[in-house]
Amino acid sequence: MPDPSGPDAPRPSRTRRFELKTWGPFIALGILVILGTLVNPVFLTPNNLVNVLTRTAFTGIIAIGATFVITTGGIDLSVGSLAAFIAGVMIMVMNALQPAGMAPLSVVAIGMVAALALGVGAGLINGLLVTKGRIEPFIVTLGTMGIFRSLVTYLANGGTLSLNMGTRGFYRPVYYGDLFGVTYPILVYALVATVGAVVLYRTRYGRYVTATGSNEEVARYSAIKVDRIKLAAYALQGACVALAVVLYVPRLGSASATTGLLWELEAIAAVIIGGTILKGGAGRIWGTVAGAIMLALIDNILNLTGAISVYLNAAIQGCIIIIAVLVQRDAKGRR
Amino acid sequence: MKWTLGIAALAIGMLCLAGSADAAAKKTMGVSIPAATHGWAGGLNWHAQQAKAALEKKYPDLTIALVTAGSATRQANDLEDLVSARAIDALVILPFESDPLTEPVRQVKKAGKWVTIVDRGLTDPTIQDLYVAGNNPQMGANSANYMKDKLGGKGNIVVLRGIPTVIDNQRVDAFMEIIKKTDIKVLDMKYANWNRDDGFKVMQDFLARFPKIDAVWAQDDDITLGVIEAVKQANREKEMWILGGAGMKEMIKRVMDKDTFVPADVLYPPKMIADAMELTASKLMENAQLKKEYIVDATLVTPENAAKFYYPDSPF
Amino acid sequence: MPDVVLAGRAISKSFGQVQVLFGVDFAIRRGEIHALMGENGAGKSTLMKILGGYQPASAGTVEVDGAATVLRDSGDAERLGIVMIHQEFSLAETMTVEENIYLGREVVRHGFLDRATMREGTRKVLAELECPVDPDARVGGLSVSEKQMVEIAKAVSRDVRVLIMDEPTAVLTGAETEILFRLIRRLTAQGVGVAYISHKLTEVKAISDRVTVLRDGRWVETRPTAELSPDDIARLMVGREISDMYPPRLPPPDDAPTVLAVDHLSIPGWVRDASFTLRRGEILGFAGLVGAGRTELMEGLVGLRRRTAGEVRATGVAEPIRTIDQAVAAGIAYLTEDRKGKGLLVDKPLTPNLTLLALARYGRIFVDRAAERRALVAAIAEHRIKTADLDARVASLSGGNQQKLLIAKTMQVEPKILIVDEPTRGIDVGTKHQIYLFLAAFVAAGGSVVIISSELPELIGLAHRVVVMRDGRITGTLSGADIEENEVVRHATGLKGAHADA
Repeated sequence: MPDPSGPDAPRPSRTRRFELKTWGPFIALGILVILGTLVNPVFLTPNNLVNVLTRTAFTGIIAIGATFVITTGGIDLSVGSLAAFIAGVMIMVMNALQPAGMAPLSVVAIGMVAALALGVGAGLINGLLVTKGRIEPFIVTLGTMGIFRSLVTYLANGGTLSLNMGTRGFYRPVYYGDLFGVTYPILVYALVATVGAVVLYRTRYGRYVTATGSNEEVARYSAIKVDRIKLAAYALQGACVALAVVLYVPRLGSASATTGLLWELEAIAAVIIGGTILKGGAGRIWGTVAGAIMLALIDNILNLTGAISVYLNAAIQGCIIIIAVLVQRDAKGRR
Repeated sequence: MKWTLGIAALAIGMLCLAGSADAAAKKTMGVSIPAATHGWAGGLNWHAQQAKAALEKKYPDLTIALVTAGSATRQANDLEDLVSARAIDALVILPFESDPLTEPVRQVKKAGKWVTIVDRGLTDPTIQDLYVAGNNPQMGANSANYMKDKLGGKGNIVVLRGIPTVIDNQRVDAFMEIIKKTDIKVLDMKYANWNRDDGFKVMQDFLARFPKIDAVWAQDDDITLGVIEAVKQANREKEMWILGGAGMKEMIKRVMDKDTFVPADVLYPPKMIADAMELTASKLMENAQLKKEYIVDATLVTPENAAKFYYPDSPF
Repeated sequence: MPDVVLAGRAISKSFGQVQVLFGVDFAIRRGEIHALMGENGAGKSTLMKILGGYQPASAGTVEVDGAATVLRDSGDAERLGIVMIHQEFSLAETMTVEENIYLGREVVRHGFLDRATMREGTRKVLAELECPVDPDARVGGLSVSEKQMVEIAKAVSRDVRVLIMDEPTAVLTGAETEILFRLIRRLTAQGVGVAYISHKLTEVKAISDRVTVLRDGRWVETRPTAELSPDDIARLMVGREISDMYPPRLPPPDDAPTVLAVDHLSIPGWVRDASFTLRRGEILGFAGLVGAGRTELMEGLVGLRRRTAGEVRATGVAEPIRTIDQAVAAGIAYLTEDRKGKGLLVDKPLTPNLTLLALARYGRIFVDRAAERRALVAAIAEHRIKTADLDARVASLSGGNQQKLLIAKTMQVEPKILIVDEPTRGIDVGTKHQIYLFLAAFVAAGGSVVIISSELPELIGLAHRVVVMRDGRITGTLSGADIEENEVVRHATGLKGAHADA
């Protein structure tokens, strides 16, 4: 056994190899930006970029929550339906309060609180069914996905729930307003991503999330309350969905059965494009941000060009997603 | 365990009772429509429910069995149940898709039932006893004519399409047929999936891309809602106006109020299901004489006639 | 040498900047059993993986039947009749025994699987191994030793000329080992060459014809086994004399207080009515056959398993212990026998593993990463963990170093009572010795140890008292001169003690 302080002593790897795996999502994002600029110079205008980033905010914020759930080894398919349900309830709450003569500020504030409470509550239900009910997360959230979707259809009577005009005017700036040219949804998104990164990378909870997803048994044997960690992840996901809805409702002021359709797939795709492992144990918040922005950019770029047949949109999207994940694969033989 | 069994037994008993009550000279009409998964279908469901209530009141001996399906396969299953379990005498159906439902409906016809097809025609039109539909090509053509007149035959427009389907193609083809003969330039067309969020996104990108747009053909009122918000955000309401379609109450209201931003709408009314049910019921209960086809006009709604098409209680 | 079937000539191997093999020679002749010995990290497994086609060599050649051959993958090797049995099982857990044995070379007739032939073949090979496993059983439901037998069955059912076995007996009982040895001898009699890695010196002495010893990636010696005593082999492996394997045993003073009292504990399906006490400064051994319920008793004790009756009390703690948090808070730490499955996050770097159990000590909400780093450097020095890189993943460490990391992780909570479960399984002599010294020092400093081991010499060499279990019951507690092999075996097999067979 060599002396640990000798030449064989371990050292931090300063000459860290350039790892495609780590930088993949950001490189792909960069390539996409160049591509967009080539397609149409309008792409790089602040106006267009702000538009795209603002749109990204909803699924982007949801994807931050999804990063946590997926890192614990779970999955939440119910987020899109939950978004629609929360949007519906929030609109109904605000519509009910407004005629009562309440100040618009209080109406909107109560609406937001109701949305957050509902989001966290729904997340807890998912989490409890997964942890206490011992049901596969895929099945639990597939079930609640259908439940939330049909609840909003029921509340809207099959049609659309629309926010009363008075409240809408007051609430509208939350989506459309800006601070030095950066819209509020972008600011909130940046904040949520930063908080998410700090929680996942710097806190005890974040470490436990990763450990749980990496090997649940090891976590349990390390005196970690695995069930609580998972439950909190689903609640966090619910809160993220609610936050996204709070930003979404002022955009169109309405919710219907089509609200948030397929958001769950977009969020999960953003997480995986970002380099988080689907089976859990390794989450990457900034990768998820890059993934979400990429998905929005693809749509945007296709809309900015007339050169590609609209019939091929989905095919182009699919190719770009697959390529983005492909470039992250390491050389053969290493995991 | 015990009490679930009890409830199941009770439920079965009630079903039997309900079945025997129908037995006499009473008639049953089955109505099968797609579930309310978007605005227009929501209106469809509302009108169907309204018509069911009204018709059951008008004809005490008529029972209407209304079922909704989330997919073509489910709808085919529904048809089997309607014939075998509910013993219907007539069927009113808005098929989810034309092809997959042609054979299931043929089976209903073979069982000797009256068949009314609504909106989406089957691949074999000989099956139907009655056909009630909106007029997709006419909707496209009326929209084009209105835009041509209002723009004075020239200008820049953008088009937001629906979901890639036959309906969308029929509308857009008829629209382009007329626009081609004018000096109106279609800057681009993109799919917005009859969805307001997609309408918002596509319009935002159109606005970023094209500095001068005179008018927007959104084709559908759900899309229109998204387009309105996108244009408002860009502060370009003065520059352009929008023509939607279908007859959503919010849009009819705007037309009624002489909104210059949304000056008109073209009908493709979900109320057609109610018309079809009413016609079928009159045949069933009074043996009324009916034409083979009732095509609901794609009427242009302007401030002059808007009040006629305004249903404030409908969800659509 | 015309009878050499597989050989490595001047094999070198580097992973990144770390070289693990330096020009090693190794040859397997027809019909011989050639043991490969060395401490953990000496490069045995890497050499075998190169010969088995799993990894390419950085330098040197692999020769099959005397001709230089490039093995691109394990499939190439298998086609040449070279089959390797891994330390980590390469079985599909959700598939049946039969499906596993025929995986990748299913018998097909008229385009359909010929289940009858495959089942018959499976039955035959399992019978040869005297292994009473149902061909239709799912592998996931088998015990560890049964899985090992299936793995061996899978290998021998192929047309094998060279069999490479990496610690095949680490998880087998004595009787199963005997069966395996008979099988190996039958294979060699048919001319199969066997490369055999093991840490068990007596076993190597018993079965092998020749021994090659590696140390720190270099070839040290190749000699006929008959010329070497176990002590010689150990000396060659370590490179120095191992004077005393076990440290001197200091008995706890007679008035040493009881620190842990377990009262009538029952774990459903495993343990009935177990009671024992542990004193300060004591090493308490637990002996018994595999499946006697020792691991389950300890897991139930610390709150990792549901229990139906009984009570656990630690001295100085008012509440009885029910959950793992309470156990950790009371200063009781359990070191699992399943290092990779329950002990360490093998895909993660060293640091998060080291601090996972004691993370609360590194910050209530935010984790102090600089402190974690310092702890890692300290732990590496204290426990002499060999790693090339502080940011390496646990999977890249050898088994012995993983075990040392697991001990370091457990010690992070500064326990007063350490429960260690098979702490030296699959570990080389040098590291074993180091772990024994560590346990002795721990009790000398006022701690107490419960050690479960299936290696009797270990319990005899270390423990002050030995509790023997059989079929979920404690059948006896031995102390002093009674701690000897025969006495333990008689209690463990039911010939003697409480609940003995009539």
